[in-house]
Amino acid sequence: MEVVCRDLAVEYVSSGYRIRPFDGLDLEVGPGEIVLLLGSSGCGKTTLLSVLAGILRPLRGSVRVAGVEVTELSARSLRAYRQRSVGIVFQAFNLVPSLSAAENVEVPLLAHGTGRHGARGTARELLERVGLSDRLSHRPAALSGGEQQRVAFARALALNPPVLLADEPTAHLDYIQVETVLLLLRKIASEGRTVVVATHDERFLPLATRAVEMSPRPIVESLEPTTIDLGPGEIIFKQGDPGDRAYIVEEGEIEIVRPRADGAEEVVSKIGPGGNFGELAPMFGLPRSATARASKPSRLVGLSPSDLQPWLTKHALIDN
Amino acid sequence: MPSDEETKPGGASLRLAGLRGGGRLSFWLIGIRDLQWRRRRFALAAVAASMTLALALLLSGVGAALDSEAGRTVASFHADAWLVRSGSSGPFTSPAPFPVGWLARVRQLPGVRAAAAVVIGGATVSGPHPRQVNLIGMTEGVGAGVNRFGVVLRRGSALVDTSLGIELGSRLVLNGVRLRATGLLHGRTYFAGVPTVVVALREAQLIAFRGLPLATAIVTRGSPRQVPAGLARLQNRQVVDDLSRPILGAEQTILLIRLLLWVVAGAIIGTFVYLSALERAREIAVLKAIGIGTLALMVGLIVQALAAGLLASLLAIGLETALAPASDLSVAVPTLSYLLLPLLAAGIALVASLAALRRTLAVDPVLAFGSA
Repeated sequence: MEVVCRDLAVEYVSSGYRIRPFDGLDLEVGPGEIVLLLGSSGCGKTTLLSVLAGILRPLRGSVRVAGVEVTELSARSLRAYRQRSVGIVFQAFNLVPSLSAAENVEVPLLAHGTGRHGARGTARELLERVGLSDRLSHRPAALSGGEQQRVAFARALALNPPVLLADEPTAHLDYIQVETVLLLLRKIASEGRTVVVATHDERFLPLATRAVEMSPRPIVESLEPTTIDLGPGEIIFKQGDPGDRAYIVEEGEIEIVRPRADGAEEVVSKIGPGGNFGELAPMFGLPRSATARASKPSRLVGLSPSDLQPWLTKHALIDN
Repeated sequence: MPSDEETKPGGASLRLAGLRGGGRLSFWLIGIRDLQWRRRRFALAAVAASMTLALALLLSGVGAALDSEAGRTVASFHADAWLVRSGSSGPFTSPAPFPVGWLARVRQLPGVRAAAAVVIGGATVSGPHPRQVNLIGMTEGVGAGVNRFGVVLRRGSALVDTSLGIELGSRLVLNGVRLRATGLLHGRTYFAGVPTVVVALREAQLIAFRGLPLATAIVTRGSPRQVPAGLARLQNRQVVDDLSRPILGAEQTILLIRLLLWVVAGAIIGTFVYLSALERAREIAVLKAIGIGTLALMVGLIVQALAAGLLASLLAIGLETALAPASDLSVAVPTLSYLLLPLLAAGIALVASLAALRRTLAVDPVLAFGSA
């Protein structure tokens, strides 16, 4: 396998809170395969690409790309890895605006030590391959979105890396340009490269060898209500867990807590008897945004989010 | 696809990236291309910095002129020693008169080969716009102003500095005494650009002492080994120091303003480069993400700072040359200043760009994955 991730966890700080977009992720992609990372915004698709690109260090786990354990590379070797082992196509193209199309493609070659003439020749060859032989000296601002995307692909392939990572490669493109990108990706994979694409564009699905759903699916089916008894300190769910049920507190007290960036824990709210929590994550297919923990002996009823409102209405009527 | 063996998919073996071979020089291009891309802003920054540098250069010229006029004035007497009234700090700042008859005694002193009496003071040139001048009266024989121009000072004649704006042969009235300009002096000013008028000793006595036979100094060729009672001996260096003292404050102010102008020029260039680094944060992140070393990226910014500094200094030299003639004061920019200006400007631009370089170091390549 060209790309192998095991038990991968990433944590970063956002607005003062520690966020884990994924925890315990496994992934295997072989040469010539196109794997899609699908999911809604914030589910960790781009974060996973950053880890595969050797830009973001994971909290835990192993990432082997082309036989190299990326997590063990020094800063210097990581730079070499980014040059030689992975080509990256960024969202919104992210070309250098002051450089021409050919110069943009030359940059990684020059950084690698290729002579100026050699770099120019390779850039021309790559741009011809993506159909831009008449756009060599145009700056990105003078190119259409599709043309910029093709320059970005040419830049990513400049050093002929075994792995190509593409982040939302069809964003900002019209359907004709999307078609060109799809064909290009198929061609790149057919040459034996491993291609990982982060997208929420499902038009990629027929092209892909495999799709990895990064965000939990919303719970639409009905689950049997269940009663849960908890002792003080016992956890119902952790931040980052996929959501399944909503909960109603019958007895005791539940604390909703979030780990802060400084290591401390913030109690977001305390929910007593009659209160409810946890319906949003299963309803919208989001990971749990906080941890729920019993602060005293408690009894909860867990049910499908769709059953929560009828249940509350029914019990309110009975109480009345 | 590249056919080069080196660029085949490399598997486990990783090569070190960085600035090697042809790559080293080519990273200059990123900086230059960015300058072309932002050429209007670059031109504005260079012009703004050049204006402050031109002012600094002008002030450097004024400072150098002030600094040199005292030395030039004292040297023009071709004296080895000066004798002034005891208690006087110097012949220019505190002229104290004594009988001109003392000159005979001085001429007899051992070590003195020749001596001349001098009257030094101030006077006003009458006219619709009265002008303050420095008055020097001297006997023939000693005094460069006389010998250098081959003009013999006669009664009624005067040598005037060109900055007074009086043409050769014109008449002038000095404290009510009518004179004719029979010779012109160049760059003979002191007390910060006040022009000098040289007249015959007797004329000076008429202007300064209503004709009384007094002098304020005796200049000698050869240094007297003894000094007569009532007189004190000064060396040329002491006289220069004394003459410079009144404008010391002005010179220090000029120096301070020059330094401030350098700082402003540096700040303009630094701000330009910093803003460039700030705006290029995503671009820098992308370049880092694709394996470009921080050092290579910094080369681009250094090129920008150097280019801005060098262009600003060249424009400043042009501006200074155009503006200098408009100044009443003699502006004498030393040649060394012209040569040093581009180097200093480049150095200051580099220092001013440190914040931008730090900013470049701090850019997280993760930013590359963001959208525009």
